[in-house]
Amino acid sequence: MKYDHDAIVIGGGPSGSTFARYCAAAGMDVLIIDKRKEIGIPVRCGEGLGTREVLAQGLELPKRCISAEITGAKVVAPSGKEIVWKDTQTTGWVLERKMFDKWLCELAVDKGVKVHTYTRATELVKEGGRIAGVKLSHGGKEPYEVRAPLVVSAEGMESLMARAAGFKTVHSLYDVDTCYQYEMKPYDHQNLIELYFGNEIAPRGYVWIFPKSDRKANVGIGIGGNYMNAKKGASGVDGADPKVYLEKFIASHPQLKDSSTLIDFGGVISVGAPMDEFVKDNFMVIGTAAKQVDPIHGGGIAIAMETAALAASTAIGAHKGKDFSRSALLPYETEWKATLGKKMAKRLMLRKVMEKLNDGDLDYIFNTITQKDLNDTMDGKFAAPVAKVVAGRPQLLKVLGALLS
Amino acid sequence: MITIEHAGCIFCVGCSSVCPANAIEAVGTRMKHYPEKCIDCGLCAKVCPANVITLHKGVKDPCQAKAHQGHAAPKGAVK
Repeated sequence: MKYDHDAIVIGGGPSGSTFARYCAAAGMDVLIIDKRKEIGIPVRCGEGLGTREVLAQGLELPKRCISAEITGAKVVAPSGKEIVWKDTQTTGWVLERKMFDKWLCELAVDKGVKVHTYTRATELVKEGGRIAGVKLSHGGKEPYEVRAPLVVSAEGMESLMARAAGFKTVHSLYDVDTCYQYEMKPYDHQNLIELYFGNEIAPRGYVWIFPKSDRKANVGIGIGGNYMNAKKGASGVDGADPKVYLEKFIASHPQLKDSSTLIDFGGVISVGAPMDEFVKDNFMVIGTAAKQVDPIHGGGIAIAMETAALAASTAIGAHKGKDFSRSALLPYETEWKATLGKKMAKRLMLRKVMEKLNDGDLDYIFNTITQKDLNDTMDGKFAAPVAKVVAGRPQLLKVLGALLS
Repeated sequence: MITIEHAGCIFCVGCSSVCPANAIEAVGTRMKHYPEKCIDCGLCAKVCPANVITLHKGVKDPCQAKAHQGHAAPKGAVK
Protein backbone atom coordinates (compact mmCIF):
# COMPACT_ATOMS: atom_id res chain seq x y z
CA MET A 1 0.00 0.00 0.00
CA LYS A 2 1.45 3.34 -1.01
CA TYR A 3 1.08 6.36 1.24
CA ASP A 4 1.84 10.03 0.69
CA HIS A 5 2.52 10.72 4.38
CA ASP A 6 2.86 8.85 7.67
CA ALA A 7 0.12 10.97 9.20
CA ILE A 8 -2.38 13.65 8.14
CA VAL A 9 -3.43 16.11 10.83
CA ILE A 10 -6.66 18.03 10.24
CA GLY A 11 -6.42 21.40 11.95
CA GLY A 12 -3.44 23.64 12.65
CA GLY A 13 -4.43 24.83 16.11
CA PRO A 14 -2.47 24.15 19.31
CA SER A 15 -3.24 20.41 19.43
CA GLY A 16 -2.59 19.72 15.74
CA SER A 17 0.64 21.70 15.57
CA THR A 18 1.98 20.24 18.80
CA PHE A 19 1.13 16.69 17.78
CA ALA A 20 2.75 17.16 14.39
CA ARG A 21 5.86 18.74 15.93
CA TYR A 22 6.51 15.75 18.19
CA CYS A 23 5.85 13.21 15.44
CA ALA A 24 8.08 14.98 12.93
CA ALA A 25 10.86 15.31 15.50
CA ALA A 26 10.75 11.51 15.79
CA GLY A 27 11.18 11.14 12.05
CA MET A 28 7.59 10.88 10.83
CA ASP A 29 6.39 12.52 7.63
CA VAL A 30 3.39 14.63 8.71
CA LEU A 31 0.97 16.84 6.78
CA ILE A 32 -1.17 19.46 8.53
CA ILE A 33 -4.13 20.86 6.66
CA ASP A 34 -6.15 23.82 7.92
CA LYS A 35 -9.35 25.08 6.36
CA ARG A 36 -8.58 28.67 7.28
CA LYS A 37 -6.80 31.04 4.95
CA GLU A 38 -4.36 31.96 7.69
CA ILE A 39 -3.33 29.91 10.70
CA GLY A 40 -4.63 31.46 13.91
CA ILE A 41 -7.37 33.60 12.33
CA PRO A 42 -10.15 34.16 13.26
CA VAL A 43 -9.46 34.16 16.98
CA ARG A 44 -12.37 32.69 18.92
CA CYS A 45 -10.89 32.67 22.35
CA GLY A 46 -10.30 34.54 25.61
CA GLU A 47 -6.59 33.98 24.98
CA GLY A 48 -5.65 33.01 28.54
CA LEU A 49 -3.01 30.32 29.15
CA GLY A 50 -1.34 29.07 32.33
CA THR A 51 2.44 29.06 32.20
CA ARG A 52 3.03 25.48 33.21
CA GLU A 53 1.98 23.66 30.05
CA VAL A 54 4.27 25.52 27.70
CA LEU A 55 7.20 25.36 30.09
CA ALA A 56 6.64 21.61 30.48
CA GLN A 57 7.31 21.19 26.77
CA GLY A 58 10.59 23.08 26.98
CA LEU A 59 9.26 25.94 24.88
CA GLU A 60 10.02 29.57 25.37
CA LEU A 61 7.19 31.79 24.27
CA PRO A 62 8.40 34.65 22.04
CA LYS A 63 7.44 38.18 23.08
CA ARG A 64 5.12 38.68 20.10
CA CYS A 65 2.86 35.89 21.37
CA ILE A 66 2.40 37.44 24.80
CA SER A 67 0.04 40.34 25.25
CA ALA A 68 0.17 40.53 29.05
CA GLU A 69 1.61 38.63 32.00
CA ILE A 70 -0.93 37.50 34.55
CA THR A 71 -0.07 37.48 38.22
CA GLY A 72 -3.37 36.36 39.67
CA ALA A 73 -7.11 36.28 39.45
CA LYS A 74 -9.84 38.46 40.90
CA VAL A 75 -13.06 36.58 41.46
CA VAL A 76 -16.14 38.73 42.01
CA ALA A 77 -19.34 37.49 43.68
CA PRO A 78 -22.84 38.62 42.66
CA SER A 79 -22.80 40.96 45.67
CA GLY A 80 -19.65 42.61 44.37
CA LYS A 81 -17.37 41.08 46.99
CA GLU A 82 -13.93 40.41 45.52
CA ILE A 83 -11.40 37.72 46.29
CA VAL A 84 -7.95 38.33 44.85
CA TRP A 85 -6.26 35.00 44.31
CA LYS A 86 -2.54 34.70 43.62
CA ASP A 87 -0.96 31.31 43.29
CA THR A 88 0.96 29.10 40.87
CA GLN A 89 -2.47 28.12 39.50
CA THR A 90 -3.22 31.68 38.52
CA THR A 91 0.00 32.81 36.88
CA GLY A 92 0.07 32.80 33.13
CA TRP A 93 -0.29 34.88 30.05
CA VAL A 94 -2.93 36.49 27.98
CA LEU A 95 -1.76 35.58 24.51
CA GLU A 96 -1.88 37.19 21.13
CA ARG A 97 -3.58 34.05 19.99
CA LYS A 98 -3.14 34.57 16.27
CA MET A 99 0.62 34.96 16.81
CA PHE A 100 0.70 32.01 19.21
CA ASP A 101 -1.03 29.56 16.89
CA LYS A 102 1.14 30.58 13.98
CA TRP A 103 4.29 30.29 16.10
CA LEU A 104 3.34 26.77 17.23
CA CYS A 105 2.64 25.82 13.64
CA GLU A 106 5.97 27.26 12.49
CA LEU A 107 7.75 25.21 15.17
CA ALA A 108 6.19 22.15 13.56
CA VAL A 109 7.34 23.30 10.13
CA ASP A 110 10.86 23.74 11.54
CA LYS A 111 10.78 20.03 12.45
CA GLY A 112 9.84 19.11 8.89
CA VAL A 113 6.05 19.14 9.00
CA LYS A 114 4.30 20.15 5.77
CA VAL A 115 1.39 22.59 6.17
CA HIS A 116 -1.37 23.46 3.70
CA THR A 117 -3.76 26.32 4.52
CA TYR A 118 -7.19 27.06 3.02
CA THR A 119 -7.52 23.33 2.57
CA ARG A 120 -10.57 21.50 3.77
CA ALA A 121 -10.99 17.78 4.35
CA THR A 122 -14.16 16.83 2.48
CA GLU A 123 -14.33 13.11 3.21
CA LEU A 124 -12.37 10.14 4.49
CA VAL A 125 -10.64 7.83 2.06
CA LYS A 126 -11.29 4.19 2.88
CA GLU A 127 -9.67 1.05 1.61
CA GLY A 128 -10.87 -2.41 2.55
CA GLY A 129 -13.08 -0.76 5.17
CA ARG A 130 -10.14 0.99 6.84
CA ILE A 131 -9.36 4.68 6.83
CA ALA A 132 -6.44 5.29 4.48
CA GLY A 133 -6.40 9.06 4.03
CA VAL A 134 -8.62 12.04 3.28
CA LYS A 135 -9.96 13.91 0.31
CA LEU A 136 -8.84 17.52 0.37
CA SER A 137 -10.08 20.59 -1.37
CA HIS A 138 -7.88 23.66 -1.69
CA GLY A 139 -9.86 26.88 -1.86
CA GLY A 140 -13.05 25.04 -2.75
CA LYS A 141 -11.51 23.43 -5.84
CA GLU A 142 -12.02 19.83 -6.99
CA PRO A 143 -11.12 17.44 -4.13
CA TYR A 144 -8.00 15.27 -4.45
CA GLU A 145 -6.94 12.24 -2.47
CA VAL A 146 -4.06 12.22 0.02
CA ARG A 147 -3.17 8.93 1.68
CA ALA A 148 -1.74 8.12 5.09
CA PRO A 149 -2.08 5.20 7.50
CA LEU A 150 -3.01 7.62 10.28
CA VAL A 151 -5.53 10.48 10.18
CA VAL A 152 -5.71 12.78 13.18
CA SER A 153 -8.66 15.04 13.88
CA ALA A 154 -7.51 18.21 15.61
CA GLU A 155 -10.48 20.02 14.15
CA GLY A 156 -11.72 21.86 17.21
CA MET A 157 -15.43 22.28 17.89
CA GLU A 158 -16.57 21.43 14.37
CA SER A 159 -14.84 18.01 14.16
CA LEU A 160 -16.59 16.91 10.97
CA MET A 161 -14.06 14.28 9.93
CA ALA A 162 -14.13 12.77 13.42
CA ARG A 163 -17.90 12.63 12.98
CA ALA A 164 -17.44 10.96 9.60
CA ALA A 165 -15.14 8.42 11.26
CA GLY A 166 -17.96 7.45 13.61
CA PHE A 167 -17.19 9.46 16.74
CA LYS A 168 -19.98 11.10 18.70
CA THR A 169 -18.85 14.67 18.20
CA VAL A 170 -22.21 16.45 18.26
CA HIS A 171 -22.54 18.80 21.22
CA SER A 172 -25.70 19.21 23.27
CA LEU A 173 -26.78 22.72 24.24
CA TYR A 174 -26.46 21.78 27.92
CA ASP A 175 -22.80 20.94 27.45
CA VAL A 176 -21.69 24.05 25.59
CA ASP A 177 -21.20 27.66 26.55
CA THR A 178 -21.91 30.37 24.04
CA CYS A 179 -19.41 33.19 24.25
CA TYR A 180 -19.13 36.72 22.93
CA GLN A 181 -16.15 38.94 23.45
CA TYR A 182 -14.81 42.40 22.69
CA GLU A 183 -11.25 43.57 22.73
CA MET A 184 -11.63 46.94 24.48
CA LYS A 185 -9.50 49.98 25.11
CA PRO A 186 -8.73 51.82 27.30
CA TYR A 187 -8.79 49.59 30.35
CA ASP A 188 -6.32 50.16 33.15
CA HIS A 189 -5.73 46.78 34.74
CA GLN A 190 -3.56 45.23 37.42
CA ASN A 191 -2.47 42.17 35.45
CA LEU A 192 -5.23 40.18 37.07
CA ILE A 193 -7.72 38.01 35.29
CA GLU A 194 -11.14 39.19 36.48
CA LEU A 195 -14.11 36.84 36.70
CA TYR A 196 -17.63 38.05 37.53
CA PHE A 197 -20.24 35.55 38.65
CA GLY A 198 -23.99 35.81 39.07
CA ASN A 199 -27.13 34.58 37.38
CA GLU A 200 -28.07 38.17 36.50
CA ILE A 201 -24.60 38.77 35.04
CA ALA A 202 -24.17 35.54 33.08
CA PRO A 203 -26.60 32.62 33.52
CA ARG A 204 -24.54 29.48 34.12
CA GLY A 205 -21.32 31.17 33.19
CA TYR A 206 -19.37 34.30 33.90
CA VAL A 207 -18.07 37.55 32.51
CA TRP A 208 -14.31 37.81 32.18
CA ILE A 209 -11.87 40.63 31.74
CA PHE A 210 -8.49 39.41 30.52
CA PRO A 211 -5.88 42.16 30.54
CA LYS A 212 -3.85 42.81 27.40
CA SER A 213 -1.02 45.12 26.42
CA ASP A 214 -1.36 48.86 25.82
CA ARG A 215 -4.34 49.42 28.16
CA LYS A 216 -6.43 46.84 26.32
CA ALA A 217 -8.50 43.92 27.60
CA ASN A 218 -10.60 41.07 26.31
CA VAL A 219 -14.03 41.55 27.84
CA GLY A 220 -16.19 38.52 27.26
CA ILE A 221 -19.10 36.48 28.43
CA GLY A 222 -19.93 32.80 28.34
CA ILE A 223 -23.42 31.55 29.14
CA GLY A 224 -24.89 28.09 29.20
CA GLY A 225 -26.07 26.94 25.78
CA ASN A 226 -29.34 25.74 27.28
CA TYR A 227 -30.10 29.28 28.46
CA MET A 228 -29.84 30.63 24.94
CA ASN A 229 -33.11 31.93 23.57
CA ALA A 230 -34.83 30.30 26.51
CA LYS A 231 -37.48 33.05 26.60
CA LYS A 232 -36.77 33.64 30.26
CA GLY A 233 -33.61 35.65 30.17
CA ALA A 234 -32.99 37.54 33.39
CA SER A 235 -32.57 40.74 31.43
CA GLY A 236 -36.11 40.38 30.15
CA VAL A 237 -35.02 39.96 26.55
CA ASP A 238 -36.44 37.23 24.40
CA GLY A 239 -33.86 34.59 25.26
CA ALA A 240 -30.44 34.98 26.77
CA ASP A 241 -28.48 36.77 24.10
CA PRO A 242 -24.85 36.89 25.26
CA LYS A 243 -24.33 40.24 23.58
CA VAL A 244 -27.22 41.76 25.53
CA TYR A 245 -25.78 40.53 28.83
CA LEU A 246 -22.31 41.69 27.89
CA GLU A 247 -23.52 45.14 26.90
CA LYS A 248 -25.38 45.39 30.18
CA PHE A 249 -22.23 44.47 32.12
CA ILE A 250 -20.14 46.97 30.20
CA ALA A 251 -22.69 49.77 30.66
CA SER A 252 -22.58 49.26 34.43
CA HIS A 253 -18.79 49.01 34.67
CA PRO A 254 -17.18 52.27 35.82
CA GLN A 255 -14.19 52.04 33.46
CA LEU A 256 -15.48 50.06 30.50
CA LYS A 257 -18.67 52.03 29.95
CA ASP A 258 -16.65 54.71 28.15
CA SER A 259 -14.20 52.38 26.37
CA SER A 260 -14.12 51.50 22.69
CA THR A 261 -14.39 48.08 21.15
CA LEU A 262 -11.56 47.11 18.79
CA ILE A 263 -12.53 43.54 17.93
CA ASP A 264 -15.79 41.56 18.05
CA PHE A 265 -15.27 37.87 18.46
CA GLY A 266 -17.03 34.89 19.89
CA GLY A 267 -17.58 31.21 19.80
CA VAL A 268 -19.13 28.14 21.25
CA ILE A 269 -17.10 25.95 23.57
CA SER A 270 -17.57 22.51 25.05
CA VAL A 271 -17.94 22.44 28.84
CA GLY A 272 -19.17 18.87 29.10
CA ALA A 273 -17.53 15.47 29.35
CA PRO A 274 -14.85 14.38 26.88
CA MET A 275 -15.84 11.87 24.21
CA ASP A 276 -16.03 8.25 25.36
CA GLU A 277 -13.34 7.17 22.93
CA PHE A 278 -10.52 8.99 21.15
CA VAL A 279 -9.19 6.34 18.78
CA LYS A 280 -10.36 3.95 16.10
CA ASP A 281 -8.36 1.97 13.54
CA ASN A 282 -6.09 4.48 11.73
CA PHE A 283 -7.77 7.47 13.38
CA MET A 284 -7.14 9.63 16.45
CA VAL A 285 -9.04 12.62 17.85
CA ILE A 286 -7.18 15.16 19.97
CA GLY A 287 -7.90 18.43 21.76
CA THR A 288 -11.19 20.29 21.55
CA ALA A 289 -12.34 17.94 18.76
CA ALA A 290 -12.41 15.21 21.42
CA LYS A 291 -14.17 17.64 23.81
CA GLN A 292 -11.05 17.76 25.94
CA VAL A 293 -11.85 21.16 27.40
CA ASP A 294 -11.91 22.34 31.00
CA PRO A 295 -15.60 22.34 32.03
CA ILE A 296 -15.05 25.13 34.55
CA HIS A 297 -13.38 27.81 32.46
CA GLY A 298 -13.74 26.45 28.93
CA GLY A 299 -9.98 26.67 28.41
CA GLY A 300 -8.62 24.27 25.84
CA ILE A 301 -5.08 25.30 24.85
CA ALA A 302 -3.24 23.83 27.82
CA ILE A 303 -5.10 20.52 27.68
CA ALA A 304 -4.67 20.38 23.92
CA MET A 305 -0.89 20.75 24.18
CA GLU A 306 -0.58 18.16 26.93
CA THR A 307 -2.86 15.77 25.06
CA ALA A 308 -1.00 16.26 21.80
CA ALA A 309 2.29 15.23 23.42
CA LEU A 310 0.65 12.13 24.84
CA ALA A 311 -1.04 11.21 21.56
CA ALA A 312 2.18 11.81 19.64
CA SER A 313 4.14 9.36 21.77
CA THR A 314 1.54 6.71 21.00
CA ALA A 315 1.56 7.58 17.30
CA ILE A 316 5.36 7.40 17.17
CA GLY A 317 5.20 3.92 18.72
CA ALA A 318 2.55 2.88 16.22
CA HIS A 319 4.68 4.20 13.37
CA LYS A 320 7.70 2.22 14.57
CA GLY A 321 5.64 -0.94 14.86
CA LYS A 322 3.91 -0.22 11.52
CA ASP A 323 0.62 -0.88 13.27
CA PHE A 324 -2.06 1.82 13.38
CA SER A 325 -4.88 -0.41 14.56
CA ARG A 326 -7.15 0.71 17.37
CA SER A 327 -5.29 -1.41 19.88
CA ALA A 328 -1.95 0.12 18.86
CA LEU A 329 -3.40 3.64 19.30
CA LEU A 330 -5.20 2.82 22.53
CA PRO A 331 -2.34 3.70 24.95
CA TYR A 332 -3.07 7.41 24.30
CA GLU A 333 -6.70 7.02 25.30
CA THR A 334 -5.98 4.85 28.33
CA GLU A 335 -3.25 7.15 29.61
CA TRP A 336 -5.39 10.26 29.03
CA LYS A 337 -8.30 8.85 30.98
CA ALA A 338 -6.02 7.88 33.87
CA THR A 339 -4.42 11.33 34.11
CA LEU A 340 -6.08 14.36 32.52
CA GLY A 341 -9.42 12.57 32.39
CA LYS A 342 -9.58 12.21 36.16
CA LYS A 343 -8.93 15.91 36.62
CA MET A 344 -11.55 16.85 34.02
CA ALA A 345 -14.16 14.62 35.66
CA LYS A 346 -13.74 16.50 38.94
CA ARG A 347 -14.02 19.84 37.16
CA LEU A 348 -17.19 18.69 35.43
CA MET A 349 -18.66 17.66 38.77
CA LEU A 350 -17.84 21.10 40.13
CA ARG A 351 -19.46 22.82 37.14
CA LYS A 352 -22.65 20.83 37.56
CA VAL A 353 -22.80 21.73 41.25
CA MET A 354 -22.04 25.40 40.64
CA GLU A 355 -24.84 25.78 38.12
CA LYS A 356 -27.36 24.76 40.78
CA LEU A 357 -26.38 27.62 43.09
CA ASN A 358 -28.41 30.82 43.20
CA ASP A 359 -26.86 34.24 43.74
CA GLY A 360 -27.52 34.11 47.49
CA ASP A 361 -25.64 30.81 47.75
CA LEU A 362 -22.77 32.17 45.68
CA ASP A 363 -22.53 35.26 47.88
CA TYR A 364 -22.50 33.11 51.00
CA ILE A 365 -19.75 30.89 49.58
CA PHE A 366 -17.63 33.87 48.55
CA ASN A 367 -17.96 35.30 52.05
CA THR A 368 -16.88 32.04 53.63
CA ILE A 369 -14.03 30.64 51.58
CA THR A 370 -10.40 31.72 51.45
CA GLN A 371 -7.69 31.63 48.82
CA LYS A 372 -6.57 28.26 50.13
CA ASP A 373 -10.09 26.89 49.71
CA LEU A 374 -10.12 28.15 46.13
CA ASN A 375 -6.81 26.37 45.48
CA ASP A 376 -8.11 23.14 47.01
CA THR A 377 -11.31 23.35 44.99
CA MET A 378 -9.48 23.83 41.71
CA ASP A 379 -7.17 20.94 42.64
CA GLY A 380 -10.20 18.72 43.11
CA LYS A 381 -9.87 18.57 46.89
CA PHE A 382 -13.42 19.50 47.81
CA ALA A 383 -13.80 18.13 51.35
CA ALA A 384 -12.48 21.05 53.45
CA PRO A 385 -14.13 23.90 51.49
CA VAL A 386 -17.44 22.04 51.35
CA ALA A 387 -17.35 21.30 55.09
CA LYS A 388 -16.74 24.96 55.81
CA VAL A 389 -19.65 26.15 53.66
CA VAL A 390 -22.08 23.48 54.83
CA ALA A 391 -21.29 24.22 58.48
CA GLY A 392 -22.82 27.65 58.05
CA ARG A 393 -25.46 26.81 55.46
CA PRO A 394 -26.53 23.20 56.01
CA GLN A 395 -29.23 23.39 53.32
CA LEU A 396 -26.44 23.48 50.71
CA LEU A 397 -25.39 19.96 51.66
CA LYS A 398 -27.95 18.59 49.24
CA VAL A 399 -26.23 20.35 46.34
CA LEU A 400 -22.60 20.37 47.49
CA GLY A 401 -22.79 16.81 48.80
CA ALA A 402 -22.26 15.59 45.22
CA LEU A 403 -18.68 16.82 45.50
CA LEU A 404 -17.97 14.52 48.44
CA SER A 405 -18.89 11.24 46.77
CA MET B 1 -34.67 25.33 7.13
CA ILE B 2 -32.63 28.22 8.40
CA THR B 3 -31.30 31.46 7.04
CA ILE B 4 -27.98 33.01 8.01
CA GLU B 5 -27.26 36.71 7.92
CA HIS B 6 -23.69 36.26 6.76
CA ALA B 7 -22.74 39.90 7.30
CA GLY B 8 -23.04 39.47 11.05
CA CYS B 9 -21.50 35.98 11.24
CA ILE B 10 -18.30 35.84 13.27
CA PHE B 11 -17.38 32.44 11.79
CA CYS B 12 -17.12 30.64 15.11
CA VAL B 13 -18.58 27.38 13.71
CA GLY B 14 -20.65 26.92 16.87
CA CYS B 15 -23.70 26.13 14.71
CA SER B 16 -21.85 23.36 12.99
CA SER B 17 -20.67 21.85 16.27
CA VAL B 18 -24.22 21.38 17.58
CA CYS B 19 -25.91 20.37 14.30
CA PRO B 20 -27.00 16.74 14.60
CA ALA B 21 -27.66 16.47 10.86
CA ASN B 22 -24.37 17.71 9.33
CA ALA B 23 -26.48 20.38 7.66
CA ILE B 24 -24.14 23.30 8.20
CA GLU B 25 -20.38 23.57 7.81
CA ALA B 26 -17.63 26.08 7.25
CA VAL B 27 -16.65 26.25 3.60
CA GLY B 28 -14.03 28.75 2.55
CA THR B 29 -14.71 31.86 4.55
CA ARG B 30 -18.39 31.45 5.29
CA MET B 31 -20.87 29.00 6.76
CA LYS B 32 -22.72 26.86 4.27
CA HIS B 33 -26.19 25.43 4.94
CA TYR B 34 -27.54 22.30 3.25
CA PRO B 35 -31.35 22.70 3.36
CA GLU B 36 -31.89 19.12 2.13
CA LYS B 37 -30.17 17.75 5.24
CA CYS B 38 -31.74 20.23 7.69
CA ILE B 39 -34.13 18.69 10.23
CA ASP B 40 -35.53 22.00 11.53
CA CYS B 41 -34.31 21.42 15.09
CA GLY B 42 -33.14 25.03 15.50
CA LEU B 43 -30.14 24.20 17.73
CA CYS B 44 -27.83 26.26 15.52
CA ALA B 45 -30.11 29.29 15.87
CA LYS B 46 -30.17 28.86 19.64
CA VAL B 47 -26.45 28.50 20.11
CA CYS B 48 -25.34 31.25 17.71
CA PRO B 49 -23.48 33.89 19.78
CA ALA B 50 -23.97 36.52 17.11
CA ASN B 51 -27.67 35.78 16.79
CA VAL B 52 -27.60 35.69 12.99
CA ILE B 53 -29.41 32.41 12.37
CA THR B 54 -33.19 32.27 12.01
CA LEU B 55 -35.17 29.05 11.96
CA HIS B 56 -38.07 28.82 9.52
CA LYS B 57 -39.83 25.72 10.71
CA GLY B 58 -41.46 23.67 7.99
CA VAL B 59 -40.18 25.91 5.21
CA LYS B 60 -38.29 23.91 2.58
CA ASP B 61 -37.78 26.46 -0.13
CA PRO B 62 -34.88 28.92 0.23
CA CYS B 63 -36.83 31.69 -1.53
CA GLN B 64 -39.73 31.24 0.81
CA ALA B 65 -37.42 31.26 3.83
CA LYS B 66 -35.99 34.59 2.70
CA ALA B 67 -39.51 35.95 2.32
CA HIS B 68 -40.38 34.58 5.74
CA GLN B 69 -37.45 36.48 7.16
CA GLY B 70 -38.78 39.72 5.77
CA HIS B 71 -36.71 40.04 2.62
CA ALA B 72 -38.56 40.66 -0.61
CA ALA B 73 -39.10 37.32 -2.30
CA PRO B 74 -37.34 36.93 -5.62
CA LYS B 75 -39.47 36.92 -8.73
CA GLY B 76 -41.20 33.61 -9.24
CA ALA B 77 -40.95 32.50 -5.60
CA VAL B 78 -43.79 30.38 -4.32
CA LYS B 79 -45.85 32.40 -1.92
